[in-house]
Amino acid sequence: MSPQIDTLVKMINQIADNAPRQETPEATAEAVVSHLKKFWAKPMKQEMREYVKAGGVGLNEVAAEAALRL
Amino acid sequence: MLHIFDPNTRTDRDLGTPPPALTGNTVSLSIDGHAIDVPEGTSVLRAAALAGIQIPKLCASDNLDAFGSCRLCAVEIEGRRGMPASCTTPVAEGMNVHTQTDRVAKLRRNVMELYISDHPLDCLTCPANGDCELQDMAGAVGLREVRYGYEGENHLVAEKDTSNPYFTFDASKCIVCSRCVRACEEVQGTFALTIDGRGFDSKVSAGQNDDFMDSECVSCGACVQACPTATLMENSVIDQGQPEHSVVTTCAYCGVGCSFKAEMKGNEVIRMVPFKDGHANHGHSCVKGRFAFGYATHPDRLTKPMIRDSIDDAWQEVSWDEAMQFAADRIKAIQAKYGRDSVGGITSSRCTNEEAYLVQKLVRTAFGNNNTDTCARVCHSPTGYGLKQTLGESAGTQTFDSVMQSDVIVVIGANPTDAHPVFASQLRRRLRQGAKLIVADPRHIDLMTTPHGGEALHLPLRPGTNVALINALAHVVVSEGLEDRLFIAERCDPAEYAAWNAFIREERHSPEATESITGVPAESVRAAARLYGSARNGAIYYGLGVTEHSQGSTMVMGIANLALATGNIGREGVGVNPLRGQNNVQGSCDMGSFPHELPGYQHVAQDGPRKAFEDAWGVTIDNEPGLRIPNMFDAAIDGSFRGLYVQGEDIAQSDPNTQHVEKALSSLECLIVQDLFLNETAKYAHVLLPGSSFLEKDGTFTNAERRINRVRKVMPPLAGKEDWQITQDLANALGYAMHYDHPEQIMAEIASLTPSFRGVTYQKLDELGSIQWPCNDAYPNGMPIMHEQDFPIGKGRFVVTDYVATTERANRKFPLLLTTGRILSQYNVGAQTRRTSNQSWHDQDWLELHPHDAEERGINEGDWVGLTSRAGDTVLQAKISIRMQPGVVYTTFHHPVSGANVITTDNSDWATNCPEYKVTAVQCEKVAQPSAWQERHRAQHKKQWGLLKTPEPTEPVVK
Repeated sequence: MSPQIDTLVKMINQIADNAPRQETPEATAEAVVSHLKKFWAKPMKQEMREYVKAGGVGLNEVAAEAALRL
Repeated sequence: MLHIFDPNTRTDRDLGTPPPALTGNTVSLSIDGHAIDVPEGTSVLRAAALAGIQIPKLCASDNLDAFGSCRLCAVEIEGRRGMPASCTTPVAEGMNVHTQTDRVAKLRRNVMELYISDHPLDCLTCPANGDCELQDMAGAVGLREVRYGYEGENHLVAEKDTSNPYFTFDASKCIVCSRCVRACEEVQGTFALTIDGRGFDSKVSAGQNDDFMDSECVSCGACVQACPTATLMENSVIDQGQPEHSVVTTCAYCGVGCSFKAEMKGNEVIRMVPFKDGHANHGHSCVKGRFAFGYATHPDRLTKPMIRDSIDDAWQEVSWDEAMQFAADRIKAIQAKYGRDSVGGITSSRCTNEEAYLVQKLVRTAFGNNNTDTCARVCHSPTGYGLKQTLGESAGTQTFDSVMQSDVIVVIGANPTDAHPVFASQLRRRLRQGAKLIVADPRHIDLMTTPHGGEALHLPLRPGTNVALINALAHVVVSEGLEDRLFIAERCDPAEYAAWNAFIREERHSPEATESITGVPAESVRAAARLYGSARNGAIYYGLGVTEHSQGSTMVMGIANLALATGNIGREGVGVNPLRGQNNVQGSCDMGSFPHELPGYQHVAQDGPRKAFEDAWGVTIDNEPGLRIPNMFDAAIDGSFRGLYVQGEDIAQSDPNTQHVEKALSSLECLIVQDLFLNETAKYAHVLLPGSSFLEKDGTFTNAERRINRVRKVMPPLAGKEDWQITQDLANALGYAMHYDHPEQIMAEIASLTPSFRGVTYQKLDELGSIQWPCNDAYPNGMPIMHEQDFPIGKGRFVVTDYVATTERANRKFPLLLTTGRILSQYNVGAQTRRTSNQSWHDQDWLELHPHDAEERGINEGDWVGLTSRAGDTVLQAKISIRMQPGVVYTTFHHPVSGANVITTDNSDWATNCPEYKVTAVQCEKVAQPSAWQERHRAQHKKQWGLLKTPEPTEPVVK
């Protein structure tokens, strides 16, 4: 993992915390996914996918769910 | 100057008095036998001017209320006694006016005779020679003698006030017409000038008999422009004489986008005069646009392309071709080694639309990726995101003039008198007419003390708690039944409104519950919400105090929610109005500078628009977003990003966490900087491409009102190329062919690919003066007020805006919160204004702190204070001020050596990564020496200027 992953973890957690709240955590995770698809560059998404597969330490619940769905 | 007067074509002639408030009625009268119909309330002077008849005048000007003091505009009116002043006499039905009779001719000669008896007769050597209304009027009335002689008591030995660096006040030439005093009041709204004394002793006085420089004068130039004689005169005209031709163009400072006449002698600008027919500024200006243009010809300007292998090498001057080849070879080598995505570009919000468009096109074609971003990332990217989500378009909804219909004006996180001064003057005019002002800001801003503007309602919130405050305001609106139910039912998505309504009604959003978060008394919040919620027309203006937060985008959506809930969208006097920082922030965003959007906010994943661009450009465009600026920095430090092309932005000074940025820039194998000066970023560059100032190129800027204004070339580029030509040459060197002969062709391409620009042409811009986009078949002349009928997304969308506290919190180690801002005389990183006499007002950044915080730390006014955050430390001089609440400190960021961004952290907005400049937890203490970073900065500055081999490097201000 590159040192950049710390920033990406911080970013996705922040998006998960701030994305307009939906009725279920799954729906919020889906909103996070669509945000990432819309705004994150390919290598950033790729790195996040790999990170969550490797355990995803430090990701909050919604962020982890979003990363898995990415 | 050569004046060709044609009443049918000249749009900026002076009609003597302002137009009346329209009643819909017209009045018919006869002036010198010419029948004319004019709106009711028009003055006789104005009616005559409209009929093409010029009545002599001195104290009248159509940007000032009629004053009736000079008596030169006297006329005879059949059936009326005496000779009334035509400026103060309104027209009446059937009136017969005679402007030239023996009686008025005699009166006018007498008036002039009295004026001239106390006026130096040095016309031939006077700086106003050729542009003096007194001289013109003496000629017009046929003054041939002064029977009183010149020996009597007079003012001819009055001393000059040369304290202002840009203009001189020569009281000996003053005729006390009060135009300057009235301009300061009515146009600028500062009330710095007055007439001191009575009768013969009357004289113009700045402040209370202060020098102009020591008075409240903000050097906007309105008085200089108003003066009919040489009393207030630009020093440049005193030194160089009258200009001989002029070109109308657009200012390159803030997002107001004022139109100016660049008055020239050959290729030299003598003065910049605000253009009366400028649709954003209506003939007004500020100290930056009016006077601070000297940077364009400053000796620090880069004039030769330069290259070097490493950033420790000396710069080598080369030809343009060599520089382009060097840059292209390096970029290609990087891409061959590290992949296509290892390079990117940054477009400038200071360059033209055409130039920003070309840089993102270069990135998407010649580089072959979407790694393009713009400095709007660090200021208004949350505006783009938030307004698109809620209103469906990433732009402000109004014209500036709309504020004149507003009854309640809410200013959130903006400081218009300093950052958008010309709009602030208009705002103040509306406040003097009685509109109410609500200011949500941690600091006391000058707008709150508008003379004759009434009392402002201040909501002094803690930095970082915007969303809690906006939710509390909305809570009151909804829970007290102040929402506009009809508007909501007709214009907004019902399901989303219901969800938002349920959310915002929750008790946790009440002013009482949020008081402990925001620090704003609940009663003030309720009063503000009631005021805005029950206003006939309520308008919200906001700035970077909204966007530059970890919840910047949420706050923008919260503002839109509030405007939607109260029905304050879609007509004059209302709206959501982002005040854009730089001249072309709106434009650079419109032009596809963001890594996820093609021009016109068309997402790269949308197949239709992408295909249109692919077909037009002959390339395949990646359907996934590229890297944003902060992502580029991280990737650079990671090693996956190696080359960057920066057009006119000083990321090393303006982006947060300077030491992180410096590390990223040092990691690059090829940094191409295109700029006017060796800025902080250029110190890390391998290729320096000398850019052109706004005076040296053609193009367009788009201001905060979505107004597209023409930028016109008034002098050849100092280094030989306009910025769009440089980008074109670089693209060609990289193997992607571009062949534009003029920016007009670039605009034609933009219009063909961008729905909101479809109807924009240079010809139409010349005809109309300016166009507010969208401009297309449905709105061929543009759209001044948006969302009148519907939203681009159909219904307005309410978004649930939970308050999430920033992670940047004060604690025992860092107990204070630092927030940053601008000052009137300087502009952003200061690269331009620091190279002008604007330095006289602000030659260093100060740390403002509350007396309580200062006393606790034993800090006195003027002490050197070490400022430490989690990101770094710097040293600034202290200014004790009660503008802030205790616990909040403040500084500006105009001087590189201040290192304000050494302090700011890499926290950013959750949705857009716009940096959280406005909240940094800090500690400060009294110190004796500069910080380690400042020492390094000073050494680096010296070294890099040495490598440039210029004879006289400008030393940074390190004290």
